[in-house]
Amino acid sequence: MHEFKYAYPAYFYLVALAALLYFFYNLRKLWAASAGKPDPAVKINIGEFFINGLTFGIFQRRVFSRRFAYPALMHFLLAWGFFILFFATTVDFFVARGWFADFLPQLDTPWFASLNDTAGLMLIAGLLLALYRRMFSKPEKLPHDLFSGRGNFLGDSGIILFLLLLALGGFFAEAARLAVYQPPAVEYSWIGYPLSALFPVSSWRQFELILWWFHALSALLFIALLPLTKMFHILAALVNVALTNRQLRGRLRPMFVSRLMEDPEADLENISLGVSRSREFRRKQLLDAIACTECARCTTVCPANTTGKPLSPMKIMTDIREHLYAGQFGNGEQKDLVGATITETELWSCTTCGACMAECPVLNEHVPAIVDMRRYLVLSEGKPPEQASESLEKTLSTGNPWGLPKSNRLKWATDAGLDIPVFSEKKKADVLYWVGCAGAYDPLNQQVAVSMIRIFEAAGVDYAVLGTEESCTGDSARRLGEEYLFETMALQNIDTLNRYEFEVIVTPCPHCFNTLKNEYPAFDGNYRVMHHSEFISELISAGKLSPDKTLSGRVTYHDACYLGRHNQIYSAPRNVLGKLLKTEGGFTELPRHHADSFCCGAGGGNMWHDIEAGSRMNVNRIEEVMHSGADTVATACSFCLIMLDDALKIKGQEDTLKVLYIAQVVADSLPASRK
Amino acid sequence: MKSCVLIKQVPDGDSPVVIADDQVSLKSAGISWTTNETDSYALEEALLLKEAHGGEVVVCTIGKDSALQVVKDALAKGADRGIFITDPQFDHLDSYGKAAIFAQVLKAENFDLIFSGLQSDNSSNAQTGLILAEFLGTAHATMVIGTEWVDDSKIKVNRELEAGWFRWTELDFPASLTIQSGINKPRYASLRGIMLMKKKPITTITSGDLKMDEIPTLSRIKKLYIPRKTKETVFISGSPEEIVTQLTDKLENEIKVL
Ligand code: SF4
Ligand code: SF4
Repeated sequence: MHEFKYAYPAYFYLVALAALLYFFYNLRKLWAASAGKPDPAVKINIGEFFINGLTFGIFQRRVFSRRFAYPALMHFLLAWGFFILFFATTVDFFVARGWFADFLPQLDTPWFASLNDTAGLMLIAGLLLALYRRMFSKPEKLPHDLFSGRGNFLGDSGIILFLLLLALGGFFAEAARLAVYQPPAVEYSWIGYPLSALFPVSSWRQFELILWWFHALSALLFIALLPLTKMFHILAALVNVALTNRQLRGRLRPMFVSRLMEDPEADLENISLGVSRSREFRRKQLLDAIACTECARCTTVCPANTTGKPLSPMKIMTDIREHLYAGQFGNGEQKDLVGATITETELWSCTTCGACMAECPVLNEHVPAIVDMRRYLVLSEGKPPEQASESLEKTLSTGNPWGLPKSNRLKWATDAGLDIPVFSEKKKADVLYWVGCAGAYDPLNQQVAVSMIRIFEAAGVDYAVLGTEESCTGDSARRLGEEYLFETMALQNIDTLNRYEFEVIVTPCPHCFNTLKNEYPAFDGNYRVMHHSEFISELISAGKLSPDKTLSGRVTYHDACYLGRHNQIYSAPRNVLGKLLKTEGGFTELPRHHADSFCCGAGGGNMWHDIEAGSRMNVNRIEEVMHSGADTVATACSFCLIMLDDALKIKGQEDTLKVLYIAQVVADSLPASRK
Repeated sequence: MKSCVLIKQVPDGDSPVVIADDQVSLKSAGISWTTNETDSYALEEALLLKEAHGGEVVVCTIGKDSALQVVKDALAKGADRGIFITDPQFDHLDSYGKAAIFAQVLKAENFDLIFSGLQSDNSSNAQTGLILAEFLGTAHATMVIGTEWVDDSKIKVNRELEAGWFRWTELDFPASLTIQSGINKPRYASLRGIMLMKKKPITTITSGDLKMDEIPTLSRIKKLYIPRKTKETVFISGSPEEIVTQLTDKLENEIKVL
């Protein structure tokens, strides 16, 4: 114990206690999440809890994003400056009390002194960067309310100014202490010490106590107010990321509608289908909303928002949060959220592309929340988007959203003069080729289907198709909130698939792929599923396919949301293209690629209806392709193919640019003699 | 207000048309069945009126077993109960016969309004709603493209005339209205509706329940065939008089339209 120990007056502890009590009282904001429904699928795994908490909470891995370099630096300085000072202050407090003296560092050692000052400077630098963004550079999507804003006490900038005051006050209090007491290692306080030299010791002596109290009280005030301000995210985000189940993250949760309908006990009159009030969300979903830091990264990358649609994923989160708090801490009454603060058009604008989830630093799950509210609109209210309701009805009656006759499901093959094996006759094959509705009925995708057959034949693959027994997987229906239709399709397809023997399902469409692979297991449909790009890549590596022509010109690749972001398949299609390219430099990446890819606009059921507002996503994307200098853009998704081809026509670029499917590129490069 | 909506199950527009061996019906394989389009508008109009002014909506169809589905769909959308008239004897009835059966079944219900689609997508006769009105002795209006509630005893309807003309008419209850498509936006059946549907009553009626010795019918399908697309152009030449003589001869004796 050294001589500079402050004799904190007793009422300091009283104030500290009051601050802490108020702090703990307002932690009820976290507890508000318990108003939600339990999530039977979430099991807390202690290992994952700590790994997530450390990786995404303490070390904030997601904050460091390629697209958000400035805020990443800002947040690094701010957060680590804050953490270190928090640690130092705690040590300081204990040392002052004489607690744990044997374990704690001495305050006036060189390393502790210099670390403290460095941290203080980091904090101030981070705060200034944050303030500059909010008051001067003002990125368009970022909230920059000065002192109020969306329920946060002191708003976006007020709390930063407050922290600045706290940090500067800290340096002055330190300088006064150094000047007055001249502790050992004083020169290692490399900011506080020079500061102390600016004024005569007599002045410091005069103000020392005032400065100390000013800093002490502002620190206690900060603690007391923290849960009411934007800084609450320090706690909420930590809890939220630690509790995230990263395997299930972003996946839609099944409702098991058919079980519900057969359950004689179910109270059908009062059952809630989908979500229209915050309490109807799962608890973890509410925690997501509570943890939102309003960093606006989700909204910045959202293709719907970028193209001027009335959707901001951040607003979805904050609206849920405000609704929750109003219900829990207000008069207890819960008004509808959907149709009031969150409009139907906002909900229908989402393509479920997942860009928001990929960027969110606190691992929020926007897509399941949006789909839950869509479920309410469709299942409870019977209000799908007007244009989409026909394709939903058609999916039920004909098994495909185009509404074309079920009996024509193999017409693409007969039209192409192909006689292909079907499971109803063959019963067994190595590969079940899942053609998909687009492959069966859309003229562009029919060419892909034919290419697939050429590839299977050339590689001598033992394959068969389901033919008229195949039905829509229900991907669009599910994302449009029509869980009942999705389940009907899923159960029907699973029933069909279980009747035949095969090793693997291969499909060209990422939507079919995602549904079959990730969503059918919940209904006991467990299959090995491969996207065609993975399958072809393996065929080429195994020497079973030997493309003999090469691709000329400059080729680029458009990552499909449901292949890339939702399933992490980035390299297989690039590998395939790489094998076919004449020159190394023949491949160009688009500026927005891999997880940063920009949606074509058709996901989430948006293939089947248009949102009037704003511009078109596919045009936005094709313009990017045009600027890249590529003359071929390869894609690996049925919807992307249709959307990009449409965009080409809108831009009148049919002669200068080609949109091709991976399967088509491969089939075209095969030796002609093998058909 | 108590209203009834007549609904028919028809093949979906994109279904393959293959004539069955009996030559008077279609092969059912490959056909996906659906609710007749204008009937959906009729149902929606009845539901909208009920939601605004109260009352009951009953749906009624004549059809094969599969046609029960259109009743269920209507109940899921919000109709209160269903009447399902089915019997193999009724399979090939014309509009007159169907109207006679409807009249028999619906008479005792004393509906204020009977809605039906303007015409069916498969036979396109546009008759049933009208003949039914005659059987029941009620007012009727066809091609209704708008309705306006007056009071518990009458309704105003907007009828579509030729060439973009419309006409508002007031009808006293009871009345039969045949509804034109586009009058409203038919709703989508919600899952909640489907769940509640399971508890709604559907009465099934077969020929034994009807007090009809014989079902009247005025027309009968002799043979169905896919129209052959042929083009035969005959040039008539000569003096104007000769052309006129030849033309009238052809119209009278060959084409038989005069
Ligand atoms: S999923 Fe895509 S479209 Fe939907 S909110 Fe997120 S970023 Fe926007
Ligand atoms: S949801 Fe995530 S990305 Fe969006 S504003 Fe909140 S914290 Fe940021």
